Amino acid sequence: MASDSAPLVNPPRAPARVVLTSGFSQRYTGGIKTFDIEAKTLRAVIKAMEARYPGVGEILEEETSVVIDGEMHEVVYTQPLKPGSEVFFLPRIEGG
Amino acid sequence: MLTRTRNPDGIADQEMKVIGTRPVRPDGVPKVTGQAQYGADYSAPGMLWGKILRSPYAHARIRSIDTSKARALPGVKAVITGSDFKEQPFEYVGPERVAVNYWHMTRNVMAREKALYEGHAVAAVAAISPSVAEAALRLIAVDYEVLPHVIDVDEAMRDDAPLLFDNMLTRGVEPPPAKPSNVSKRIEFKIGDVMAGFAAADEVVEMNFKTAPVHQGYIEPHACLANFDAEGHGELWSASQGHFVVRAYTAKLLGMDIGNLLVHPAEIGGGFGGKTVVYVEPVAAFLSRMTGHPVKIMMSREDVFRATGPTSGASMTVKIGVRKDGKITAATGLFKFQAGAFPGSPVMNACMCAFAPYGIDNVNTVGYDVVSNRPKSAAYRAPGSPISAFGVESVLDVLAAKIGMDPLQLRLKNAARAGTPTAYGPKHAHDGYAETVQALLKHPGYSVPLKKNQGRGVASGYWFNGGGESAAAVRINDDGTVEVATGSMDIGGSRASMAMMAAETLGVSYDRVRSIVADTASVGYNHVTGGSRVTFATGIAVVNACNKVIDDLRCRAAQIWDVELSGVVWQDGAAHPVSAAIGDFAPLPLKAIAAKRAVTGGPIGAEAAVNAGGMAPGFATQFCDVEVDPETGAVKILRFVAAQDVGRAIHPSYVEGQIQGGVVQGIGWALNEEYIYDKAGRLSNAGFLDYRMPVASDVPNIDVVLVEVPNPNHPFGVKGAGEVNIVPPMAAIANAIWQATGRRMTELPMSPPKLLAALDAPHGI
Repeated sequence: MASDSAPLVNPPRAPARVVLTSGFSQRYTGGIKTFDIEAKTLRAVIKAMEARYPGVGEILEEETSVVIDGEMHEVVYTQPLKPGSEVFFLPRIEGG
Repeated sequence: MLTRTRNPDGIADQEMKVIGTRPVRPDGVPKVTGQAQYGADYSAPGMLWGKILRSPYAHARIRSIDTSKARALPGVKAVITGSDFKEQPFEYVGPERVAVNYWHMTRNVMAREKALYEGHAVAAVAAISPSVAEAALRLIAVDYEVLPHVIDVDEAMRDDAPLLFDNMLTRGVEPPPAKPSNVSKRIEFKIGDVMAGFAAADEVVEMNFKTAPVHQGYIEPHACLANFDAEGHGELWSASQGHFVVRAYTAKLLGMDIGNLLVHPAEIGGGFGGKTVVYVEPVAAFLSRMTGHPVKIMMSREDVFRATGPTSGASMTVKIGVRKDGKITAATGLFKFQAGAFPGSPVMNACMCAFAPYGIDNVNTVGYDVVSNRPKSAAYRAPGSPISAFGVESVLDVLAAKIGMDPLQLRLKNAARAGTPTAYGPKHAHDGYAETVQALLKHPGYSVPLKKNQGRGVASGYWFNGGGESAAAVRINDDGTVEVATGSMDIGGSRASMAMMAAETLGVSYDRVRSIVADTASVGYNHVTGGSRVTFATGIAVVNACNKVIDDLRCRAAQIWDVELSGVVWQDGAAHPVSAAIGDFAPLPLKAIAAKRAVTGGPIGAEAAVNAGGMAPGFATQFCDVEVDPETGAVKILRFVAAQDVGRAIHPSYVEGQIQGGVVQGIGWALNEEYIYDKAGRLSNAGFLDYRMPVASDVPNIDVVLVEVPNPNHPFGVKGAGEVNIVPPMAAIANAIWQATGRRMTELPMSPPKLLAALDAPHGI
């Protein structure tokens, strides 16, 4: 676990590595950028983050796109996660 | 020359009967015969004409507006000002990059306390004829207090700059500043240690650049017709890139339920991102609701230039270090973007896309979103990415020359691949970039010798591409014809591509499928046609709906044959028994099953809705040959070759057209397009005669190389193809000019007067 990581569920068996941008982490998680969360779906990640930081779940649902193992997705509850998935929450992108 | 480079493995090699062919486009004949109905073509009995009064000043406090004389003019039915609209809370709603602040939006639609740019709407009338409406506008008395204005982004960031908002404190800065400024937001992305990276470099180049704001230049001005009934139910006919979003914005600004507004999609005469927002729709709707009459509003070309969103002008500093072997060791970018009168430039995209084609361990990008007295910026084709690419790709060209390396080889050496970390955090999941560089290295034009005053330049680009929410409905008629309805506005050939994907999935011929864009009440929510998302996301919805229909057709075939569903498969447009053991049945084609629609359960059709993910980014690499006239400074494009990874081209002609169109727009951005303001901040070239976009005689044939590295997350391998093509041209042309003249152009546009001045100046880089 990285030094700035915070375990949310014990014991984290093959947890997902969840990463926030600097902007999100400064605003919503006291500057903590990475989290290890045991979860099989994106919904479980959001629930765990909401439990730790009330209100952040809605932020993640409404204001982000998510990159799971390099693949960019819209935030959808049922999105499956593999053991050890890397889950990046990014500001949502729109184009022209 | 059109060349196709296919990945030998994967989706692109599946046997396809419709995908990859070039059938006649369904919108072609209506457009060339004048039958297509654009926003301005709609009218209704009892219709009134809406006209908008616009500020003659770039920055002015509105002390008062007296509309009494206008209201008294015979034939005038209504006069409104900004204060007639419902006030909106000051809050940013939705995603960071495109956060909507309705307090800003309602003031952009119609000014309240201040006019923030020349052309800013300040009042509107509805009258029985255009001439009466115009006369009424002249009777509206606005008492302005003219204020100092600022347009240039560097000037707008100065401590002594005139402030557009007295209470704007920069977001993204800790601790928050105590003093207001024109800087709306600061953002930063960082990986690695850039100091150490630059220390490890053999060559480091840092340069400053400026880009002019440019308009999307769509041919069709904004226009709409609104009609409200006595119960407050409204209808809108509007040309936009997303009628569901037009509905949502208009309903919000009018304080009405979304369900009480029905929006019909008009044919669209170009958008390129600029029609993802509303200008005239809320005004026409308000006037219609107020008067009980249909109200039509059409912008003039001058209105479009003065009052609708261009993309940002920018000022930037880019620094890159490389080793002698070509490996990039570190890179930084400082990007300052004009947002226009309200926050919301695409500077975040610029920061994220700037170095995305490359694998660089140490990167730091910083962006500033800055308001100034211009129309609020709107999306324009890969918004933000072309601007930062102009700086990055120019500096790479300088570095390639310094280390004596071919510029394509420099890019290939540093090419990001699946697994390469991006500067904004996650790793790339898809290949495709290196393949575009390799395609150009193999292109015969790349080795053609050049003559005096000629030069060759290369550049690359990146765009995320989009996914998101889409819905589609597929219905089978009793003669076996197919109807496909989506809610995605067709701005790049999506009606054809949706029909082709449906035909391929169902196993019927393309000419049996009719594809339409349905109104907001007739199909599920579709997000805007933007971000190169529609062929990907709406395409998945269409394929999913077709697969539901196929399941239904199998059920009906099982009924007809009196066998279990598991005994029926769908192949080549017909139901087949899965094996001889099921029975000796001749295949039942779609048409035969459709003919038994009633007895097998009634209408055949299905809908599907998705929030599509797994979109793959777009990569583009281009080279061009130019010739510079040393007497006039004019640049002639001799050759332009554009390679782009498109995943899989559903209709190659449309994809080639997208790429050619993006390149042509890039050529205009590079060489000629700019807004010219007088000292009072008034636009001097609000028309196509003076705002110089490329015409056919300015450009050669754009040679397109379709690179197909399929996206495994789409049924046919699609990647968005509409935007990344506009990212490289500005730098490619600047790099070619440098090779032709020895002059490094760092400011757009590189128009003849600027190039002549550079030619007369002492030798630059």
